[in-house]
Amino acid sequence: MKILNYTLASLLTVSLLSCKKDGKMNETGKDSVIAKKDSVVIPEIYKEYYGIYTGDFAGMEKMIDETDGSEYEGSINKRISLKINRITKDSVYGQSIVSGNQRPFRGIFNESTKSFVLDEPGNDKTDGRFEVKLSGDSITGKWNAFNKTAVKSPLKTIKLSKKDFVYNPNFMLDKDSDLVDWSNPKDFVEKYTDDETGKTESYTTSKNRVASEAIFNLNASKQKLSEKDLKNLRKIDLEIIKNSVFARHGYSFKKETYRYFFEQTDWYIPVSNNVDKELSPMEKENVALLNRFIKYAEDKYDSFGR
Amino acid sequence: MLAARKHIPSFLKTLLIFGFGYFFWLILKITLEYVPFNPNVSFLMIKQTEVQDRPEYLSFFYTHVYTSIFVLLSGFLAILRKDFGIKNFHRNIGKVYIFLILILAAPSGIYMGFFANGGFLSKISFIILGSLWWLTTYKAYQSARQKRFKEHKQWMRRSFALTLSALTLRIWKVIIVYLFHPNPMDVYQIIAWLGWIPNILLIEYLIAKKHI
Repeated sequence: MKILNYTLASLLTVSLLSCKKDGKMNETGKDSVIAKKDSVVIPEIYKEYYGIYTGDFAGMEKMIDETDGSEYEGSINKRISLKINRITKDSVYGQSIVSGNQRPFRGIFNESTKSFVLDEPGNDKTDGRFEVKLSGDSITGKWNAFNKTAVKSPLKTIKLSKKDFVYNPNFMLDKDSDLVDWSNPKDFVEKYTDDETGKTESYTTSKNRVASEAIFNLNASKQKLSEKDLKNLRKIDLEIIKNSVFARHGYSFKKETYRYFFEQTDWYIPVSNNVDKELSPMEKENVALLNRFIKYAEDKYDSFGR
Repeated sequence: MLAARKHIPSFLKTLLIFGFGYFFWLILKITLEYVPFNPNVSFLMIKQTEVQDRPEYLSFFYTHVYTSIFVLLSGFLAILRKDFGIKNFHRNIGKVYIFLILILAAPSGIYMGFFANGGFLSKISFIILGSLWWLTTYKAYQSARQKRFKEHKQWMRRSFALTLSALTLRIWKVIIVYLFHPNPMDVYQIIAWLGWIPNILLIEYLIAKKHI
């Protein structure tokens, strides 16, 4: 009887949410009927909430001012995905994925407030608890680290919207993307000669790598790349072209450089920390070729040799 | 006064010998990257198109790599013009230098020039370089056979100046990348020419003005 109540409740919510979801409503109904017949299967309710919710994972972090070395609180924002895989009467199962860290979570769903309390396992220092609320297709709320001292920013706010992850080989970085890799500055010593006194002083300055327009033109998911296509590219371009393939498959990047580049697009949805099996044979070949060129650029670009 | 003038060249000579020694060591290390034989290592990492499409490419490549290190060494030993107590040392080491270039190093170099990185501009440069290398070396051989030793000396200096482009090209590369950070093939087109033109100009200047 209770099950029927849930079904009715879910039917009601769905119909309240939108009239377009008629098809899904029937599905939910059918599933609960099957579940009722088979008492071994734990009934899954709220299937319509299953899916990937992607968006901002923002917090404050202690940062050090580069000019005077003083500490200040700066805001950081990462793209996070919450995958809701299963909701039963007393449990919610899913995964959180942020900057290459994919963690399972388990929790409860409060149907009256439509809110979730989700706990990561707790055996990783970055684990914590999500307390989020569902409204329509969006999830908002907060995340608290279990171990407040182990992470840089123990409290985060969460703002997600439901996205369907689809692999599409046509996805490219937007042409108006920022091309600067801000996370890998390289220090240079530069000399400065004062015109009046004639004294020469040297000072250290940092430069950031900048990608070229090539990253908008070469698509390693659509065309078989040749050595000729890649020969005149810098390492950063090769890396971006290669990692565009992984971004299209929803790879969650550990490296800030790639997160920054791909989080500028709206198609990038991090869904997994390993997508190697998803790559097409052509993509695999291109990635192998790109890896060779990246290695060559690393070993040879500025060294004595060719 | 005369003693001082004599001291400068000997100081310069020592510097050149040590300089050559250092860069020869670096080249030797590059050569050893291809030992043991591996068709997908170092420079060949970006040459797989040629390696796969042209069955003869690897043979020419390895001929060039493995002989050139001995060309450098024998050329250096020969240009010192000393026998080091070994009978006919200069003559024999000179023969090694000449025959390695004429039969192996220069022809394989010219072949590789046709498939050089950096497009038409660098291809032309390497083909001219290879041809001049063969020609100057042949002239040096011919004049030695005819016992015209002044000419032999001049042709040998030209030949060795071109041999040294193996070092100067790579030195220029480090300098240009350090200063300007251009894209890899843009550097390549520049060093393809910068590697040997200044060398040959300097040696022509020395031959013309200093009558060496």
